[in-house]
This record gives sequence, C-alpha cells and structure tokens, in this order.
Amino acid sequence: MTRVALRGIRAHLVRFLLSLLAVTLGVAFVAGTLSLRTMMGSTFSGIVASSMQADVYVRGSEPAASAAQAGSSAGDVREAIPADLARTLNTVDGVRHALPAVSGPIVLVGADGTAVVSSQAPTFGMALHPDDDTLDIVAGRSPVGAGEIALESATLESSGLTVGDETSVVLAGEVQAVSVVGEVSLGAPMAGATIVFLDVATSNAAYAPEGLVASVDVYGDTGVDEQILVERVGAALAAADAAGVETVTGTAMRTEATADINDMLGFVQTFMLVFAGISLFVGAFIISNTFAMSVQQRMREFALLRAVGASPGQVFASILIQAAVVGLVGSALGIAAGLGLVSLVRMAVAQIGMNLSGSIPLDPATVVISLLVGTLVSIAAAALPARRAALTPPVEAMREAGGARSRSLRLRSIVGSVLTVAGLAGLVAAWSRPDPDGPALLGLGAAGVVVGVLVLAPVIARYSLSAMAAVFVVAVKPLGRLARGNVIRNPRRTANTAGALMIGMALVGAASVLAASATVSTRAIVDDGWIADFSVQSAAGVVPTGVVADLRALDTVDSVDELRYGPAMLAPAAGGTVAERSIIVVALPPAALGHTLDFDAVEGTLAGFAAGQLAVQRSVADDRGWTVGDDVTFTTAAGEASAPIGAIVDTAVIGAPIIMPDDAFERIVPSSQIAIDSLLITSAASATPAEVRDDLTGAAAPYVVLSVLDKEEFAGQLAGQVDQILGILYAMLALSIIIAILGIVNTLALSVIERTREIGLMRAVGLGRMQLAGIITIESILTALFGTVLGMAVGVGIASLMPAVFTGIGLTELAIPWGQLASMLGVAALVGVLAALWPAIHAARLPVLQAVSAD
Amino acid sequence: MTAHTLTSNHPARSLTAPPASVIAYARGLVKTYGTGETEVRALDGIDVDFARGELTAIMGPSGSGKSSLMHCMAGLDTVTAGTVIVDDMNVGRMSQRQLTALRRTRLGFIFQSFNLIPTLTAAENITLPLDIARRPVDRAHFAAIVAAVGLEDRLHHRPSELSGGQQQRVACARALVARPAVVFADEPTGNLDSKSAGDLLRFLRGSVDDLGQTVVMVTHDARAAAYAHRVLFLADGRLVQELTDPTQASVLDVMRSMGDETETEHEHDGARR
Ligand SMILES: Nc1ncnc2c1ncn2[C@@H]1O[C@H](COP(=O)(O)OP(=O)(O)OP(=O)(O)O)[C@@H](O)[C@H]1O
Ligand SMILES: [Mg+2]
Repeated sequence: MTRVALRGIRAHLVRFLLSLLAVTLGVAFVAGTLSLRTMMGSTFSGIVASSMQADVYVRGSEPAASAAQAGSSAGDVREAIPADLARTLNTVDGVRHALPAVSGPIVLVGADGTAVVSSQAPTFGMALHPDDDTLDIVAGRSPVGAGEIALESATLESSGLTVGDETSVVLAGEVQAVSVVGEVSLGAPMAGATIVFLDVATSNAAYAPEGLVASVDVYGDTGVDEQILVERVGAALAAADAAGVETVTGTAMRTEATADINDMLGFVQTFMLVFAGISLFVGAFIISNTFAMSVQQRMREFALLRAVGASPGQVFASILIQAAVVGLVGSALGIAAGLGLVSLVRMAVAQIGMNLSGSIPLDPATVVISLLVGTLVSIAAAALPARRAALTPPVEAMREAGGARSRSLRLRSIVGSVLTVAGLAGLVAAWSRPDPDGPALLGLGAAGVVVGVLVLAPVIARYSLSAMAAVFVVAVKPLGRLARGNVIRNPRRTANTAGALMIGMALVGAASVLAASATVSTRAIVDDGWIADFSVQSAAGVVPTGVVADLRALDTVDSVDELRYGPAMLAPAAGGTVAERSIIVVALPPAALGHTLDFDAVEGTLAGFAAGQLAVQRSVADDRGWTVGDDVTFTTAAGEASAPIGAIVDTAVIGAPIIMPDDAFERIVPSSQIAIDSLLITSAASATPAEVRDDLTGAAAPYVVLSVLDKEEFAGQLAGQVDQILGILYAMLALSIIIAILGIVNTLALSVIERTREIGLMRAVGLGRMQLAGIITIESILTALFGTVLGMAVGVGIASLMPAVFTGIGLTELAIPWGQLASMLGVAALVGVLAALWPAIHAARLPVLQAVSAD
Repeated sequence: MTAHTLTSNHPARSLTAPPASVIAYARGLVKTYGTGETEVRALDGIDVDFARGELTAIMGPSGSGKSSLMHCMAGLDTVTAGTVIVDDMNVGRMSQRQLTALRRTRLGFIFQSFNLIPTLTAAENITLPLDIARRPVDRAHFAAIVAAVGLEDRLHHRPSELSGGQQQRVACARALVARPAVVFADEPTGNLDSKSAGDLLRFLRGSVDDLGQTVVMVTHDARAAAYAHRVLFLADGRLVQELTDPTQASVLDVMRSMGDETETEHEHDGARR
C-alpha cells in the first residue's frame, strides 16, 4: 500500500506540488516567526554576554522603585551602593580588578547635527575604565577629561562621525562640546543601542554625583572560580561592614538579566506568537483545503483500489502516508523559506537602524516545531477526506464522475451558530461591563465570533455568493453565470479558500478601525486637555534640565510648566510584591492646572492639589480600592511619606496613575530618578505665535533632541506614533494576506485541474481563451470579495466595541474609516485578479482535445 | 443501394472543387501523431465530401482514424497536411481565435460522454454556445428543438438529475440550437441502451430531414448507421468503402468483408507506424 501511496504522489505531481506549496507557505510563516523570535532573543543575550562579563557583581540588596526604563542596566533596580567599595574589593585575593558600574542618559549629536537616536533602542553613556579589558579599543584611545568621548563601533557608524571629529553631547542636562577620540567594540551587535564612553571622572560626576552606583563589577584572575570569588568577595564585604549589599556570580547575574530582557520582550513575543498562531491557522486552512480537493478528485482511483480488494483501512492509510510525505517535505521547504523571510525582515529592520545578530538561528526547537506542525497539520487535514474516501462504497465513487457530492451543512450550521452566538454574548457582556473583565471577555468573545463565522462560512457562502455574483451575472454575460455556478457548486470549498483571507482581512479591518479611533481619540484628548500654546519634547525621552531656565528667560514666553515623572514606591502596608508596589507618578506645578493642562475630577476636587493632595486615575483607584480622602503612603529614602487623595480623575491627557504637585513629588521620588517629560509653554500676551516659535526653537536648538510643537503639531505627532505602530502591524498582516492569496491561487489551480474536461468542453463549444480566463478571474474575485467582506464585517464589528472597553487607556472615540474599508474592497478585487492570473493562463493554455478527453 | 470500393489517394478528385451541394470537404487530409519512432499516421490522405442536408455515418475498426477525422474536420485539432473546408472556410488555416468563433455558431459537436456543464441547467446548457457568442436565442427554434428531443419538462434540471440518454439529447439540442453548418457527433449513442439510442438517432435524422441540418456521426453500430443517408468506412486512416441509403444488413455485410481484410492488421493495431 505504501508503494501505491508513493506512486500516487508521482502520478499526480501537480496536485501534490500545490499541496506542498500550501504546507511550505504555512510552515514558512511559523518557522519565520519562531526564528525571528530566537534571533531577537539571541541578539539580546549576545548583548548581555558581551556587556556583562564580570565574574562577580556586588549590588544593593534592597530593591528600589524604578521607572522601568530599558536604560542603562538590565535587572530589577536596587538601592545604589557606594562606588568606594570597588577600592576595598580590589585588594581581595584573586580579584584582578573591581569596577564601579557608572552609566546613565546622554544625547549624542551626529555628523549631520541632529541627535543620534534609534526609536527602538536606548542611548546611554558609561565610564570607560582603563582597566576594563572586556572592551576593545579598535581605533584611537580612551577619552581623558570632560572634553573627550569614545563611541561604540555601531554608534560611530550610525552617527556618521569618525575618530577625531568634534561634536557635542547633552550630559546632565547641559550641552558640552567634545571630540571623538576612540572607537570601542563590545564584540557583539548592540541592537541599535547608542553607547557613548566617557572618562571615569566625567561619568562619575554626571551619573554618580553622590558616589553611589548600581553595582560594582568584579573581574577575577584567570583560573579563579566564580563561586570561590563570590565567597571571598562576600567575606571581604562583611569584614568591611558594608550594609545593604549582596554578591552574585556573573552567571547568575547574566541569567537574571536575560530573563528580564525576555520579560521586556514579552510583549513582542506574545505579539509574534499570535501571528505565528494566525499563520498556522491560515496555513492549516490551505493545507486541509488542498487535501480535501485532491482526495475528492481521486475518489475514483480509490474506488478502483477498493474494487480490486484494498480495505478501507488501507485506502485511509495510503492517503495519510501521502499527507505525511507532503507534510514533511513541505515543512522542510517551509523552514528554508521561513529563514528567507527572516533575513528579509532583518534587512528591513537594519534600515531603521536596528542590527540583529549576524547568523540567522536555526535552533532545534524551531526545526522540530515547524516539522511537527507542518506534518501533523497535513495529516490531520487529510484525515477527514481520507476517512470519507475510505468509507465511500466503491460503486458509488465510480459512478460519481468527479462531480462533488454536496454533504449536508446542517452540523456546521448548528456548531457555527452556537459558537457565534456565544461569542456575541461575550462581546455584549464586555461592552456593557467595561472594567475589569472587559478585555478578557472581549478577547474570548472575539475568538468565539471569528471561529464561529469560519465554521458558518460555507452556509453564509451558499446564500451570499449568489447575491454577490448577481452583479457579474448581469454585467458579464454569460461568464458571470458560469463563474457563479463554479463558486456556489461547492460552498464549503469556496468558504475554506476565502477563510484564510477572511482572517487576514478581519485583522486589517480591526486594525484600521482601532487606528482611526486612536487618532480621533488622541485628537480629542489634545483638544480637551492640552491648552498650552506650545510644548517642548525630547526625542531622547527626557528633556535636559538646562533648557528650562533658557526658555523662562525669553521675553516672548509667559510661563514654562515642567511635566515631570519618576518612580515611587508604595509603603509595604499596601501589600503586594516590590514590582506591584512600584508606581509611576507625574508632577505638575499647581499653577499648570487650567493654565496649560485641563482635566476635571470625577470624584472629589482638584482644589486641594496646590495644598499637596493627589489626583489618582479612576482605573488605578478602582484597582487598589482607594477613595477620595484616603492617605497614600510611600516609602522614601527618608522614611515614609504620605499624601491624601483629593480627587479621582479620568483623563488621558496624562497617562500616569498618580498626579501630584511638585513639592510632594520631590519628597517622594528620589532626585536621581526625576525626569522631565515635557515643557508646557504659554506665550506672552504681546508676542505673535511665530515670534514665540522662533524664540523657542532658537533656545532649544543647542540641545539637539528638542522639538517645539504647537497644539496641531502635538496632535499630529501623536497620530504619527499611531501610524508607525500601524505600519508594523500592516506589514505583518500583509504577510498573512499574501499567504491567503497563494491559498486562492492554489485552490483555483486545483479546481482548474478538477474541471479540465469541463473546460475542454466549453472550449469545444466555442468559449474563447479570454472568456475562460474571465470566468476564472471572476471566480477568484468573488472568492476574495467574500473573504474580505466577511472578514471586514467581523473585524470592524469587534473593533467597534473596543473604545467602549478601553476608554480607560485613552481610546475614547470610535471612528470607522469607511473610505479605507471601501478601498480594501478594491484591494480584494485586485487580490482576486492577481490570484487568478496563473490558474487562468494555465486553463487557457489547455489544448481543447486533450482537455475533453482528460480523466 | 450501391456499394463501391474507393482507392485511397484519388489524384483526379483531390484537385476537383466539389459541387455546391457539398458543405464540408477534405482533400489529401493527413494527420500524424508523435514524431520519428513513435509516429502514428491516423489519417493517411483522405478525400471526403459531406453533402448539405445529409446524415453521414462514419464506421471502421477501432483505431482506424474516425475520431481523428471528426476532430480535424471540426477544427478541434490541427491537420498535418491537406485542406479542410467547412462552409467555405479553410479550417486548417484558421487561427485559434477564428476557430473558436467558428465552433460557437458554425459547428456543433457531440461527444460520446460528458457533454454538459454540471453547474448549468439543461436549458442553460442548450443555449450555452449562443450565450458565449452573445447572440440572442431564437425562442421558436429553441422550443422546436426542445420539443423534438422531448425535454420540455426537464429544462430546469441539472445534468446530474438527467439520465444518460436525456443528457445526450440535451447535447444534441445544444449542437443544433445555433443552426450550425455541420454537426459532428463522435459515437453519440456509444453509452446508450438501444431504446435511448433509437430516440436520439431518430432525432438526428429528423433534424436533417425537417430542419435541413447537416450531421456527420461516428458509430460502431450497424443499426445506428442504417439511420444515415450515407455510410463511409475507414480503415488504417483511409476511406475504403462507401454505402448510400444503407440498411442494417448492407452495413453488416460491408463490416464483415472489411473485418476479413483488416483482421491481420487489427492484431497489430497498436504497432502500426
Ligand atoms: N493524441 C494522440 N496521440 C497519439 N496517437 C493518437 C492520438 N489520438 C489518436 N491516436 C492514434 O491515432 C489512431 C486513430 O485514432 P482515432 O482515435 O482516430 O481512432 P478511432 O477510429 O476513433 O478509434 P475508436 O473506434 O476506438 O474510437 C490510433 O492508432 C490512435 O492510437
Ligand atoms: Mg474514436
């Protein structure tokens, strides 16, 4: 039977090549996603490995609140420790040298006079210890004094600077002229991070003014075991009476850092896994469709086998063997194609300045998962049609000359309806009861509706396709009618073919509604709450402190309000882990309320804000059970400090959970952690907007990273961020749509093979080649439109509920971009035409006589 | 009732233009399949005339080239040498596009089986050539044909809901609906029982007698051939015999005599080069 199965593959090569293509595509997406994930992971662990090479780390034993910035150091942020400890540790036996880790924010001006920034990766400055032999000075020398810097190799390249150039940096809030004196290599791609090396004294002054550092890195003499070194260092610290410090081995530290990075990448990973899941789902659709069709077409062959004595089990097995072969080969090809995709992605991200690790990883997990997925999905997809083929009585199958016997859709109708209705119920529940279960309910409901509609699709197809085809039936006679007959003769197949596209289009529809809503919502937020004349923002994320005084000194400026943020730590009485107690707070000068920023209390009053009362976002208050009048207690360096809640607010103007007046903020947040988010500016009454802008721009220019925005521009900038995210989303969705197109091509090509005789007959009766191509194109367009309309309906419907559920995070308005959706229909028609191209040409080329006599 | 033997290459006839009563003819028609070692000479220089308003039957042993002749005459296949003229048009010289147009309205073709598009109803199948050509359907003519094949109450059924005989009658109706110059039918009754075959043949003959159509039909059945005005016999790609006003008995006589002649060759049928 195995021989018969393998012969079958050879005999029906074209059909199998198409199945193979389906498997290859599905697996390519999965393998691509998985290895992209591995590649990002390995890039970051490469960074960890090359930037954390010490044998022992000494750090604070007390966790501290942190702004959770992907900044200088990975790992949870702890209380700083004295840099002096390094001196003690240098004397320990077996220690080659101990270096205090000193690093922090910096802005580097590139050769083109603008700041070197990468939107995806951090910028930081660090001390270049003359002793540190993990760093390799590849050109020039170490910086000496405040006027010199060295740059990491990739940073040097992206900045356009060369060793010997003069430029400037913004360090500790001040602009400083520096010259580039060296190039330093870390030995691994740094994923786009901008790294500036400073002289030890300069970085100490900027980043450790109080002599405190995050850690001291201890390097052992060669041959000294980490574990032994840890014990010696620990003993030395104990002898020196150092309190609040702990020692960890380098290995443990690197593991911790890698885990933390993986946590930070968690969102990206989840996002990509969702796409892998979708791609798999889409791929499975194509695979199962292909097998269902090829089994259907070979029904007679199986009947013949049965008639000459093969048992149903043997027929079943022979189909499954074929599926397994196709699955395995297809998966192997798919893995190769997936790696190709990844290298394309890598080239694309390199364009935006993010270098990922050099080798494309082919880790065993990716290979095994991809092979398993491809093979199992193929087998599973073939199992149902195989069962049918095995159980159909031979006589019936022989009689059934290729014509599809339509199976009842009743079970599908029932299951699909139940799922859809359950999903809808979930959506309604989510919509009517926003927080806190809203998002989960919405997700479940959406999944229910999507799967339900997929199951129902053949039923929907049966009724809606005739209606959709009516246009073509009337417009292009008689091709429209012939095409309609072909798409509705097997609604199950048409629906399955369209299924892959439906999923892609549902996502596109949802994404475009979300994007439009987000844009409108941010617009509304800016209109309502952002009443300053101008704002100043920093591309580096933090506004240098020095600029504030410069702006206040301008005649054309009336007031400059600082919007500052920093991490705070709730007192242990609040319960929960350190991470749960860590919270971001925003500070406003009380005068800014109603002057440059406007929001109202939904409970209590903002009248006491100036007197030190807090404003808390409603969602946070609900979460933590706070009400107006409660005292919130924070742990600070100087003991505990508390402040009463004066108002519960519900505003998206400020995203932070707690808003407090400046003086309370300064008591609660450690001064080293305070950062200026933006400056809000009102113009002097006498000045025209153009004058103010000119003055502001002039004053901000030396700081390089600053931009001056009026209200319009501010809203535009927010919208631009939305667009950027959307761009990435669309790129990924485009991939699933390309796969869906290939799925349509596949189905059409198979159905052309299936209909060879019919096509020959029509040609014999006088159907022209172009007419034949026309029929196939119309079929393709109908299929694509069906998938698109259904997908859009589902996607847009679900996304329309999101503003109701996610008001809390600033999605306040619902906007449906009808124009954009309509143009997607145009895209769908185009997709249809594209997908029909090859099958139509193939069909038109069929020689009439051979086609008529094909079996 | 006359029977005379024809010699294959008829130099005198191949140059003469046929009389006006001839609607389709071939001169020196050669069709070979394959090349070199595997070359098969399916038609070996055929001269044949088909008269307007006649039902012509073509008979001959399996592999004698009957289907090849029909395909070449109908422009469904290219000819290797010689000319084929149908309705004053040189089929051998026509482009694909012209052939397609010719097939729509000037030619009808009936295959042995699988003649209908499964997604279309009987009525839609019948009018398909006109629909493809975007020509209006002559309702009266349509009704007459449908009545003649006795399909009035089956018009809205799909092929899968029709019997084999009904399907072939639908195919006949389709071949005739555009009033083609010639209808070619390759073993139209091959899959039918004798009753259905009789119905179909009576209808074909009727279309010739009553509607003035020209029909050329391949058959293996002497009873079917007896419905024709004239029977041509093929062997090894050549015309060997001709019968006018045949009866079942006369056809069987010729078949029997041919059987004797071609028996030895019959055995080497596949090996013929
Ligand atoms: N496409 C082809 N390729 C190669 N040889 C062919 C092809 N079609 C027909 N032949 C050969 O040409 C010869 C004539 O075939 P044809 O089909 O015309 O015979 P026929 O008289 O119709 O036979 P039957 O009564 O069995 O239908 C045969 O020897 C056949 O093998
Ligand atoms: Mg034949």
